[in-house]
Amino acid sequence: MADSNKWGMVVDIDRCTGCQGCVVACQAENNIPINLEEHFNQRRAIQWIRIERYWEGEYPNVKARFIPIMCQHCGNAPCEPVCPVYATYHNDEGMNVQVYNRCIGTRFCANGCPYHIRFFNFWEPEWPESLKNQLNPDVTVRSRGIMEKCSFCVQRIQRSTREAERDGVDLEDGDRGLNPACVNACATNSIIFGNFNDPNSEVSIIKEKEMKEGGRGYGLLENLGTDPNVIYLKKVDESVEVGHGH
Amino acid sequence: MALTRRQFLTLMGGSAGAAVLFQACGLPEKELLIDSPPSMPEDLVSGIDNWYATTSQQAGRSEGIVVRVMEGRAKKVEGNPDYPLNLGGHSALSEAALQGLYHPDRISSPLVRTGPRGSGEYREISWEDAIGRLSSQLNELETANESNRAVFVTNPQGGHLGLVLNRFVDAVGARHLAYEVLENNILRNALEEVFGSDSIPEFDIDNADFILSFGADFLSTWISPTRYARGYGEFRQGHEHRGKLIHVDSRFSLTAANADQWVHVNPGTEGLLAMSIMQVLSSSHPDPVFQSLDSEGILDSYSPSNVAGEIGVSEETIKRIAEEFSHSKHPIALGGGSAGAHTNGSQNLKAIYSLNRVVSNVGEKGGIILNPKSPIDDIGAAEPANNFSEFHTLAEEMKSGNVSVLMVRDADIYYGMTDTADMKAALNNVPLIVSFGGINDDITSIADLILPQHHFLEDWGTDVPVAGPGYQMIGFQQPVVRPFFEHRGRNLGTKGFADILMTTAQVMGKDLGLEGQTFQEVIKNGAKKLYELNRGQVVSNTFEGFWNGVLQRGGWWDVEAKESAVPDVRSLRGVDSPEFGGGSQQEFYIQPFVSTLGDGHYSSLPWLQAMPDPISTATWQTWVEINHKVAEEKGLSEGDVLEIRPANGRVIKALAMPNPAVPPDILGIPIGQGHRDGGRYSAGRGANIMSVLDLKMDSELNSLAWAATKANITISGEWMRVPKFENTVPEFPRDEHHSIIEITSGEHH
Repeated sequence: MADSNKWGMVVDIDRCTGCQGCVVACQAENNIPINLEEHFNQRRAIQWIRIERYWEGEYPNVKARFIPIMCQHCGNAPCEPVCPVYATYHNDEGMNVQVYNRCIGTRFCANGCPYHIRFFNFWEPEWPESLKNQLNPDVTVRSRGIMEKCSFCVQRIQRSTREAERDGVDLEDGDRGLNPACVNACATNSIIFGNFNDPNSEVSIIKEKEMKEGGRGYGLLENLGTDPNVIYLKKVDESVEVGHGH
Repeated sequence: MALTRRQFLTLMGGSAGAAVLFQACGLPEKELLIDSPPSMPEDLVSGIDNWYATTSQQAGRSEGIVVRVMEGRAKKVEGNPDYPLNLGGHSALSEAALQGLYHPDRISSPLVRTGPRGSGEYREISWEDAIGRLSSQLNELETANESNRAVFVTNPQGGHLGLVLNRFVDAVGARHLAYEVLENNILRNALEEVFGSDSIPEFDIDNADFILSFGADFLSTWISPTRYARGYGEFRQGHEHRGKLIHVDSRFSLTAANADQWVHVNPGTEGLLAMSIMQVLSSSHPDPVFQSLDSEGILDSYSPSNVAGEIGVSEETIKRIAEEFSHSKHPIALGGGSAGAHTNGSQNLKAIYSLNRVVSNVGEKGGIILNPKSPIDDIGAAEPANNFSEFHTLAEEMKSGNVSVLMVRDADIYYGMTDTADMKAALNNVPLIVSFGGINDDITSIADLILPQHHFLEDWGTDVPVAGPGYQMIGFQQPVVRPFFEHRGRNLGTKGFADILMTTAQVMGKDLGLEGQTFQEVIKNGAKKLYELNRGQVVSNTFEGFWNGVLQRGGWWDVEAKESAVPDVRSLRGVDSPEFGGGSQQEFYIQPFVSTLGDGHYSSLPWLQAMPDPISTATWQTWVEINHKVAEEKGLSEGDVLEIRPANGRVIKALAMPNPAVPPDILGIPIGQGHRDGGRYSAGRGANIMSVLDLKMDSELNSLAWAATKANITISGEWMRVPKFENTVPEFPRDEHHSIIEITSGEHH
């Protein structure tokens, strides 16, 4: 294990079926308010990870393509410099972090994010009393007026790090206590989480192999210079020409 | 490799033995001293979480889960990495179990109706009173020699719960019917005929290189989707050669979306296509499957030139699929869902599964792995549900006053039956309806007496999966938290379903012949039989060690205990053309499909309501998938309220949702909404497509042919915004040079 960590993800969209399992797992882990019907109608539903579906063609020659999208934890994040109160910043483990009690809700960061993964709490979150029993005690419930987004389940990283330090052991690559909720939920193993600073981690090995010429790796909108910490692996479709996409 | 503390905890059982193990692990003393009152149980230490293994049998699926418990409350569900059927992944349905556990509308004590039926007016009574009322009614029937006027309807139930249930209905002389909204009977009967066993075999998708699926949305909702998805990931990228998936379906499902090719066929012609593939292969594959067909000269009538028009595909396509299927090293053919929900459903599925016999993949790697019998004699997998026609008959009996007591558990015949069977009116004629529902599903909302069962995360159980992993296994379900309504005292609160039955039998003076006074004891004594086998992945010198072991791992399995016999091929008959309710006057075929709410049983759970349908991203409502060009011709746009009108005169309303993948003659309508109750997240929302289906049945089994109804649409003139996730976030700043989803032909891989 390397001295410092640089957490990141690999998402293989050739494995992904678009089943939405990760979406619900994320809601459960991160105390995301219940998205009621009116929230969808107002286009204000919150999903830290979402599945985008793209149509290609029409009946009978039609395809639907799916891609999970979450915070890319950019090395050069457009959301960070625009925050007037330093509520969002880059930590020394390669993650884009949101400090809820600093946030004053200017929503500049959401404007700046090309991936549209930042969500604003337009309402005070509400749960019926009994459902509050499910809330994760490791995750802050965000109040009205606060911006929120995927944290790579930072609470799991913190807890695992603490436990590893206490036990005098290294964090283990692929440990299910360390993995974000979406990674563990994913039945197809489309999402892999790990430390890019550890050359032996699975994410590093995949990066090494797939970011080469001819490999399947690419960064989402990497032409914007955001230096994302998530690597996507291309969908394979023998029926299309190379370089085709959405 | 050292076991991390979390992994260790994942493997812990929920018993006193766990606490001993915990201390023996040698954790720093300070960890156990944080604000820990002397009497506080180990899992109530602030800041310490425990993960307990159990089994989810929701929607008839078997999923091993581990539940994070902190300060006595369940916080998170994850897949059990050891459990053979899901190997760590888990479904949204398992995740949402927590909302069932802590649902604000859970029933917290036995209730007796005080107002008119269906008014929702109830009075709390004690368990003693409630069980007394039920047992006295059953006693009265027995005294009058009319015990068969008591009917018990449940979901199909196996394992020890199935054992207790069977003993109970035998002891009290009641009749038992197992109910599924979307029956798997046709599938299981077809499997029995083709493979000699009605258990659903393991499809070794992981090691297959070619999958030909017919109608079965196995990547989304069909049978065991988490496990099939696990295999699918490996099928695509886990091996040197990427597997190829061809999906044959009359609707564009999630599986169709993920297929390399979606072959659209006319509804109900899936079996004709399978027969035609066999006809193409018959010359090159001298196989026993063909002998019976050839001898009667049946097969040639399915040649591509004869049936391509009826199926709606080209002859070339049939020949090409046949060739690819037969030339693959590890091909699998599977089918179900709408392919089995037509008047020719049984024939369709038998023809589809027979394709496997043609390529002799039974028992082979990357093929069909048959399941062995249960390792212990007195419990087994759930028997198939009763056929629709038996429930139709039940409705007639109710109407003529031949049913005095109806007991219902997890089987919503009020909701799931088509109104053409008149079940709702028939239920009015039953003097006493007793529900064991933990939440007010529709049938519970009209019940006279409610004996609320525990949530499965509070209860014991075992699971002998119908769709096993290809070797012997039994999942173990243990309570991961204490009952939520425990604070209401012994007289109120909820109880385990099996314990309710055992207590009722005891009050009636019936001996169920079970080994144990409580369900927990029954299961523990059942586990002794497994222990005595002295094989499998848990072996121990002591029974207590074994018992803790199976609870820690979520079950017992023996990967060596496989089914070795491959039964002879039975004769295959032909496949008829499908018949439909309605005719040429009806413009569209109704294709009901399962979206996020299962068969409607899970409509009370807000995470599932808010989970976008993978194809449309719609939530919380009932929508109609309609071809975008047809919609344009009719002047329809998204959110227009459509009236769906089958020839039977019934009508439901649903929201138009055009998309480019819907075949022009299909209306895809999700199952699951339109409940009269089910709590605040379910009641009065959307419409129930099952309620307007025609009374068409499978020609062999009399199961409901739920995809055999045709309908017209009328535009009501109303409009409603479709709650959907699409367009919630703005479009990406992309251009022709930069894609969001990049696609490669795979040439370099």
